[in-house]
Amino acid sequence: MAPYAYIAPFFVIFAVFGLLPLLFTFYVALYDWNPIGDHLFIGLDNFARLLADARFWNAARNTLSIWLLSTVPQLLGALLLAHLLNHVRLRFALLFRMSMLVPYITSVAATAIVFSQMFDRDYGLLNWLLGLAGIGPIDFIQSVWGSHVLIAVMVTWRWFGYTTLLYLASLQAVPRGIYEAAAVDGAGNWRQFVHISLPSLRPVIVFTVVTSTIYGLQIFTEPLLISKGTQTCGPVRQCQTLTFFLYEQAFGQFRFGYGSAIGVALFVMVVVLAGINYFLSTRIRPERP
Amino acid sequence: MKFRNVSTVAVAVAAALTMAACSGTSGGTSSAGSDGKSFEFWSFTGINQKQSVTQYQQKKPDVQVKLTEVGNAQETAQALTTALAGGKVPDLVLIQGDDLPKFVQQPQNFVDLRTLGADKMKGDYLDWVISQAVTKDGTIIGIPTDVGGMAIAYRTDLFKAAGLPTDREEVAKLWPTWDAFIETGKKYTAATDKAFIDNAATGVFSQVVNQGSEKYYDPAGNAVYDRSPQVKLAFDLGIKAVTAGITAKQSSFTDGWSAAMKKGDYAAVAAPSWMLGSIRDNAPDTKGKWDIATIPGGAGNWGGSYLAIPARAKNPKAAWDYIATNLSPQGLLEHFLDAGSLPPTPSVYKDPKLTSVKDPFFSDAPIGTIYTDSLLGLKPFLIGPDSVAIGTEFLNAITNVEQGKGDPAKAWDAALANIKTAIGG
Repeated sequence: MAPYAYIAPFFVIFAVFGLLPLLFTFYVALYDWNPIGDHLFIGLDNFARLLADARFWNAARNTLSIWLLSTVPQLLGALLLAHLLNHVRLRFALLFRMSMLVPYITSVAATAIVFSQMFDRDYGLLNWLLGLAGIGPIDFIQSVWGSHVLIAVMVTWRWFGYTTLLYLASLQAVPRGIYEAAAVDGAGNWRQFVHISLPSLRPVIVFTVVTSTIYGLQIFTEPLLISKGTQTCGPVRQCQTLTFFLYEQAFGQFRFGYGSAIGVALFVMVVVLAGINYFLSTRIRPERP
Repeated sequence: MKFRNVSTVAVAVAAALTMAACSGTSGGTSSAGSDGKSFEFWSFTGINQKQSVTQYQQKKPDVQVKLTEVGNAQETAQALTTALAGGKVPDLVLIQGDDLPKFVQQPQNFVDLRTLGADKMKGDYLDWVISQAVTKDGTIIGIPTDVGGMAIAYRTDLFKAAGLPTDREEVAKLWPTWDAFIETGKKYTAATDKAFIDNAATGVFSQVVNQGSEKYYDPAGNAVYDRSPQVKLAFDLGIKAVTAGITAKQSSFTDGWSAAMKKGDYAAVAAPSWMLGSIRDNAPDTKGKWDIATIPGGAGNWGGSYLAIPARAKNPKAAWDYIATNLSPQGLLEHFLDAGSLPPTPSVYKDPKLTSVKDPFFSDAPIGTIYTDSLLGLKPFLIGPDSVAIGTEFLNAITNVEQGKGDPAKAWDAALANIKTAIGG
């Protein structure tokens, strides 16, 4: 029995705080559930309504768009930077490596306040610069693409350093000798990156792709903070993500049943997308000689 | 790993409900006993309940009030919902008028204040204000703390520069109607090339819609937002203000709105009584450059809040003593003199202490009389359970046109369609 006792803490905590709430969400999704009033069983009505709800599809589109805009450049950029940091002999390497973690430890709220002021239509730094170049002003927060870019910039800024460090740590484990041998064989920086760095990073790439899918699809704080208290995130819900829509319905409109149905839909989306991404990123394999 | 992270979404939804199981055994705070000498009070930001608590503690120095400003009004109502569903509830909570109907529909969550003596106080308040907190069977779940009489705050220096009169009586004569108000705005914009008001949604629509005797619900409680004449009038005026090009396109309480106010990028702002504090805080350097004129279109009310005691409160008696002391006509008058919240008790409207108040920030405007005048003769409207959701969609539709994206001709139909989706089930 001892082995089971050793692993019990994780599984017990997981069951209480992970599995039970998840199952309970499925259960609530079958009800018209007023948190402070009646609970009425309505079967799959919430899901039928959800599929016909333009606001749901809009939120799904926004979520995917923001996720793509924030994840793809972030992971690609981090890969390249990690390769460079690993390769180039830098003075104060530790300082550069540590400073990349600063955005990660900065509170999201502070980040959102600073970025939304920078991106402000009339008084923002960015529009002032664009104005000097004769462009704009662009109303980032009020436009679809602008608000997505703004949120993606915040997410990228926050996670870029963290991802880079993960890649860098993994690269440090690659024996220098392999790079040196490749250099002797005449492989340039790019070929070394493609044929050595990339394949040896496979496990950590899979990890970052899957976790950033999970995180990216649940993005909530940034749109909440740039929308200044309006739960629709702008007049046409242009930056309302799925979790934000869930929050609006469950906690703004007191529709816990409908909110739970959104949560279930999001769960399915995350599982499917994380699965696809896992499948795709495991395709990266060291080339056979 | 994957599984656990995904389920955090579920935790967010279900946390409140699973906590129900735990809350019976918790409650670890020892200081908040039921000795009647302390109680917990949830309020929201921007309404200055600290002042009110200080005022109470001067009278009852042995009572400990634990005031928490949870967030803005909506966030406080959400936190209260979560708490009522299965968490630790406060002993006293402030609820904004718009959020109240959802709680009135579920009165079992609150102490019937009649059991504590609210019957005797009921007559002190404006009838249409207290009636919002009374259920069909007569249960009283809240006592009003303030009402939001309406007016227009404007910058005298900017009006002068645009060649408009600056005296509050003459300014009021510029705009007997909202059409005249928009015309004045056009004159201002033509003379200065700057925006006249902050935005069309809350600057015009929210004002006009609160001036009718019927808003989104008829007196019987049926949703009539799609055929209420006042709603259509308010919407059309909002769109008219947009197409007249007199708005700064700054949504209230955003960073841009505050910055534009500081810089004088708009000259007038709709100012329900609770807005005056925001103007003072946002643009302290503009002190003395503002004045207050009566609002076009006559009497109206926007806002106002209530104090309620959750049914599971540990110290309902202490909380009630706070209500009975601070929300008496005299207590409310004192709070008005200190913090500027408008009392919902008409008996003090003729009190010289109220009528003689002049606000130096607003060029010594007699705020007591301006706002109480806007409340007398008011025909109240019913606020319903979906009033907030309906209002949000109307405001969004107008803002969308203001941002240059929506078609003004189709905005009304779009708003109605969105409302149907929003409250449909």
